[in-house]
Amino acid sequence: MADSPEEIKKHVKLYMLIGVILFICTVLTVAVAKIEWLDFGARGFDAIDMVIGLLIASVKATLVALIFMHLNHEKKMIYWLFGMGIFFGICLMVITGFAFSDPIYYEDFFGR
Amino acid sequence: MEIPYIVEPRKDTGLNNSKIAIWLFLASEVMLFGGLFSGYVFLRIYADYPWPERTLPVLPGLINTFVLIGSSITVVFAWVALKLREWRKFQIYMSITLICAALFMVLKGVEYNAKFGHQAIRLDDYTVIEGHAYPQEEGGDKKITKNLNIQAEQIQIDLKRVDDKYYETMGAQYGEHFVLAEDLTLNSKTKYEKGTAISKELIDAAKKDFIDALANNSNVNIAVARQASKDAGNQPELDGKRYYDKDRKDFIAKRTKELKAEQEDNYQNITPALTFIAKEGAVDISVNPRWGKLSNPKEGEKGTLKLKDETLISGTTADSSITMRVDGIDFRHTVMKAVEKGIDPEAAINNSWLLKDQSMKLIWDKHLVFVDKLQNYLDEHDKEPTDLDLYRITWQEIAGLMDKDIEDLEKMDHHEIAALFPGDIEGFAGANHTRVHYPKINVPREQVRFEAVFSPRWNTYYATYFTITGLHGLHVIGGAIVLGYYLFFGRKMYDANPEWLANRVEVGGLFWHFVDLVWIFLFPILYLM
Repeated sequence: MADSPEEIKKHVKLYMLIGVILFICTVLTVAVAKIEWLDFGARGFDAIDMVIGLLIASVKATLVALIFMHLNHEKKMIYWLFGMGIFFGICLMVITGFAFSDPIYYEDFFGR
Repeated sequence: MEIPYIVEPRKDTGLNNSKIAIWLFLASEVMLFGGLFSGYVFLRIYADYPWPERTLPVLPGLINTFVLIGSSITVVFAWVALKLREWRKFQIYMSITLICAALFMVLKGVEYNAKFGHQAIRLDDYTVIEGHAYPQEEGGDKKITKNLNIQAEQIQIDLKRVDDKYYETMGAQYGEHFVLAEDLTLNSKTKYEKGTAISKELIDAAKKDFIDALANNSNVNIAVARQASKDAGNQPELDGKRYYDKDRKDFIAKRTKELKAEQEDNYQNITPALTFIAKEGAVDISVNPRWGKLSNPKEGEKGTLKLKDETLISGTTADSSITMRVDGIDFRHTVMKAVEKGIDPEAAINNSWLLKDQSMKLIWDKHLVFVDKLQNYLDEHDKEPTDLDLYRITWQEIAGLMDKDIEDLEKMDHHEIAALFPGDIEGFAGANHTRVHYPKINVPREQVRFEAVFSPRWNTYYATYFTITGLHGLHVIGGAIVLGYYLFFGRKMYDANPEWLANRVEVGGLFWHFVDLVWIFLFPILYLM
């Protein structure tokens, strides 16, 4: 980090703000899961709840990564390194996802 | 030796080396946790049982989320303090971070402890009951007994598989009660007469003899095979024949037979198992259910208890039932199986073994009253009750309704009944058995399809829960050790070059934020979905 002490002092307020947003988002995540009139879609857990829950979590994770981990102003090299990690992480999930098209799940697989 | 580029950036990357290193490490961590998360997704999609969604108490998870986010903020502030050369402030913020880490682990420990103390049984008809297992006779020693019991008349020990750990523990129960059923003569000419008591020495001697005999016999066989092959090579009429030619094969088979007959005296007797019988009537034997399996769990009938080392304990099955206080009933699996077979779910529940018990039937009837009120309430709001509402009775419901009369409940509305349920704090990490005496039930072993505490053994949900949160907990501990090192031993580094320590704390902080980041996803996925 090449930040000067003056710049860092300016950032302190931002860190506090992000902290508060993270706390609020956490309460929000629990609220949409537990409070009945905040429960979107059908009663109980369903796809909409999953999307909302993961969306809030993604927002929180992005804030942590951008502000606390300084990814909002980082060297190109870091983006490459971490970006590749995320890329391969996603690849891993997608490749496992091919299991869905495994012929063993065809109805007549064992019949043949 | 001086390590280069720990403070000043390298020209080609524009960064100091430690930062590159930590980001490389974090990239590999993303892939590690990504793999585990995708494992969770697939286990959940393909689960052949109703997924225990929203089953964990949210409060400890929520507090832990606050604690981790708080520690993420303080670790940034600790770094800021170092950048501004404020050592005292750095100490304060870093200390708070470490206290948060400790608090997180303590809460995790409370949660884990509650899980490991919670018994679950999947009954033969797929009803799941949860609660605390208790001694058969309460008031006695507090040790939970869910052992498999048998009145043993005969023990057969497999010398190939007999395991010291099993034998040494079981040996105390076998004692002097069991004796050899037949005379035993070892190849070493040592003799044990019929009626010799079971002992470690006897088993060890017989096992050694068995293994030696196996080795000896296979050595003789190898020598015979070699000789037969050699003889085949010396036969002029087999000249030029390959090993797969019929003539050569026939010759070798014939020669082997002859040689084996010649070597008859060199072969040793193989005794693969020893049989012991009870000297004076049947003996009570009690075994941890994880060590073995009862062939016939029905009390009073003939059965065999097979230990994992293939020891067979035969006799009459004794009472091996599990007594537990029930704080959760789940019929969702019963319903799932009924739907698969095309049976009416309500009928399947009403015919279940559990509802033959009066106290359980009463709880179910009260639950039906509650569901009825809930249904009316949801109808007004155009919503449908979920399977969890319909078929799962939570500990809150049992605690709230067990002492109420069903007639009183019928007069109340949905909100009034729900208000009877205890709050989240009372069951901080699960049902609190010291405050509420949950109804007791005795489950005979033949009704038990599967039983376990809430451990990775119970189902794939808990397996992933413990794997991912356990690994995450290890990361918390590792991060705390590194950050603690900077706090307690960082002064020297700070005096030598404060920027050096600031960089170290930034790198340690990056890891700490990553740990927080993983938890940000873990919390909603494991606790709220």
